[in-house]
Formats: sequence, structure tokens, C-alpha cells
Amino acid sequence: MSNDFYKSSILPYAAIIIKICRAYTDTQEDFEDYYQEVCLQIWKSRNNFRAQSEWSTWVYRLSLNVSMTLLKKQKNKQPLLASGYSPAEVPDETPAFLDESLAQLYAAIRQLSEVDRGVILLYLEEKSYQEIADIIGTNPNNIGVRIKRIKERLKKLLDGKIN
Amino acid sequence: MEKSIETVWKEGFLNSEALIAPKVNDIYNKKSMHIIEKFEKMFLINIWGIIIGASFLFIASYFAGAVLAGSIILIMMLYISYNAYHDLKALEKLDKGQSSYTFLKSFKDWISKSIEHYGKMYRLVYPILILTFYFGIWFSDVFDSIRKIVTENSNDLVFGLHIYTTIVIIIGAIMMSIFSKAIHSRDVKTIYGGIMNKLDLALAEMEELRD
Repeated sequence: MSNDFYKSSILPYAAIIIKICRAYTDTQEDFEDYYQEVCLQIWKSRNNFRAQSEWSTWVYRLSLNVSMTLLKKQKNKQPLLASGYSPAEVPDETPAFLDESLAQLYAAIRQLSEVDRGVILLYLEEKSYQEIADIIGTNPNNIGVRIKRIKERLKKLLDGKIN
Repeated sequence: MEKSIETVWKEGFLNSEALIAPKVNDIYNKKSMHIIEKFEKMFLINIWGIIIGASFLFIASYFAGAVLAGSIILIMMLYISYNAYHDLKALEKLDKGQSSYTFLKSFKDWISKSIEHYGKMYRLVYPILILTFYFGIWFSDVFDSIRKIVTENSNDLVFGLHIYTTIVIIIGAIMMSIFSKAIHSRDVKTIYGGIMNKLDLALAEMEELRD
């Protein structure tokens, strides 16, 4: 991957990738691996980008797909851990965010299903229901209800932890 | 008062440190390590396969009354395994601290050298194996009755061996010796083809990345 490509086409969108990768990883090491893999896949798939959507939308979609795939692979590799996996019991090794509330929110997001994580991240990034539906590949009519449910779940998980 | 998740999200990322991107300079490190680890594992299994196979052959030769042939094959196979084990140790010593590209290149060089080395070794090993097998089986106890039938029905014998069969076997052994490198190379591709393809793909990708 050329340095120019990274600087011009990835780095300006690094925030998107970082936010997504953090939601799918528990440790700094995994986060860095996911980030690198997403960057690599963006570079490798760059010729598949069609100008029908924004580059940033495409980056969102690709980051989510890569992160979900990596998470699935990781779960398959650790059947013992996955069978008794309870994120709440796993120590969060993510380097502490300076903002404690954000760290708590991320810990709660990581307890959601893979797809729900994607939906809520896009919602928090202020994407429209139509955009969320386009990126996730679902019907926009269901998105509103889904987001409401996810927010309720997050509220329960956080239950007074953020203030 | 409790903040909404939307507020937490917005305020949390106001701090630029939450959005520091990791470096992307060692993307292939894990992939290259995985390829070589898998190869090492298969290589070790292969060594054990040779040792176990040769041991079974030796036991079988004992019961067939061809202990000498069995012993020669066992010693030869143990020698090959010993060499292979040393090569494996050399592979494990490859500097893992170098860049992924150089690391995989060194691995590829190791494979090429190994094919070259074993190709030369098999120039002798293949014919010796074939001839030992042939002489061993021919003079074994289990072949006693067949040997008698051939001796009684044919005049084309030299040192108790059927001339034409022996000539065909010797030609076969010579051919195996001549084409030893090509045969060994094909063997390697059959056993390690999957990994070698992955290695070539990874190297091609990295070469593209370096451009």
C-alpha cells in the first residue's frame, strides 16, 4: 500500500475505522490487528469502489464487514472461550479512554450482537436510517425499531454507570 | 444527571487521543508467521512419518526374511530424517525480527535450497531404495517359492536373478536417479503445495505493496 494512498484515502477516514474496530475488540492488540486488516482490505478492494456511494460510506461498510468477519473467525478459533463467553466477565484490556463514560459505553456496545454493534455505531455517527439500511443491507423501516431496542438494552447495561 | 449515549459519544471523541490511529507498517507479520508455523508443523509430521514408515518396513522385512534390505532402508530413512530435522532447526532459526517480506523471502530461499539439497541426496537414495527393495524382496523367504519356479523355468538368470526383470529395475533406478530433483520437487508440491501457493500469493501481494 503506497503511503500516498494511506494518507489520502484512509487516514482522513481513520476515525471511522477506529470507532468501528474498538467496538469489535477487547484488547489493544486485537484492535491494532483489526485496524490494520481493515486498512489492507480497503487498499485491496479499492478498485471495487463504485462512485454510487460516498467513499466514507464505503469505508463504513467495509470496516463493519471486515470486523464482523474477524470476530467470527476469532470466535471459531476459541470454541471453549466462546461457549462460556461472557463479555462482562472478561477484563477489558482496552487502554483506558481519557473519557470514562465513553469507555463504559464501548464496554456496553461490545456486549451487543455483531449486527447491533454496527447499527448503533452508525446511529451514533448520525447516519440516516436509509444510510444505515444501505450499509447494513436491511430495510430502513426496521431500523428505527431496532435502534430503539438497542438503546434500551444499552441503557440497562449502563444503568447509571455514565453521568 | 445521566448523559444520553449520543452525548457520551460526541463528547468522548472530542478528545483527539481517543482517535489515534495505530501504525500499519507490519500488516503481514502475523500472516507470514502463520504460514511458516504451519509449514514447520507439516515438516515435522513428515519427518515422523518417514521414521514410523521405515520402522514398520523394517519389522515387515524381519518377518519376510529380508532383514538386510529392511536394515538398509531403515538406516537410509533415519539418515534422511536426521538431515530433515537439522534443516527444520535451521528454519526455526530464521530471524523473525526482520521485515515480513524479507522473512518470507528467506523462507522461500530455504525451500529452494532444501529442494536442491534433497534433489542431490535422492539421486543416490532413490536408486538404492529401488534396488534394495528389489533384491530384498527377491531373496526374501516369502519369495522362496516364486524364486524356485523362475529358476526351474528360465535360463535367463544371473546370480539367481531374472536378467530382463533386473535390467528393467536397473533402468528404472537410473531414471529415478536422473529425474530425482524433478520427482522430489513434485513430491514437495504435492505435500506442501497449499502452503507454497499461499507463500507465493503473500509475496506477490507484498511486492505490490512495496511498489
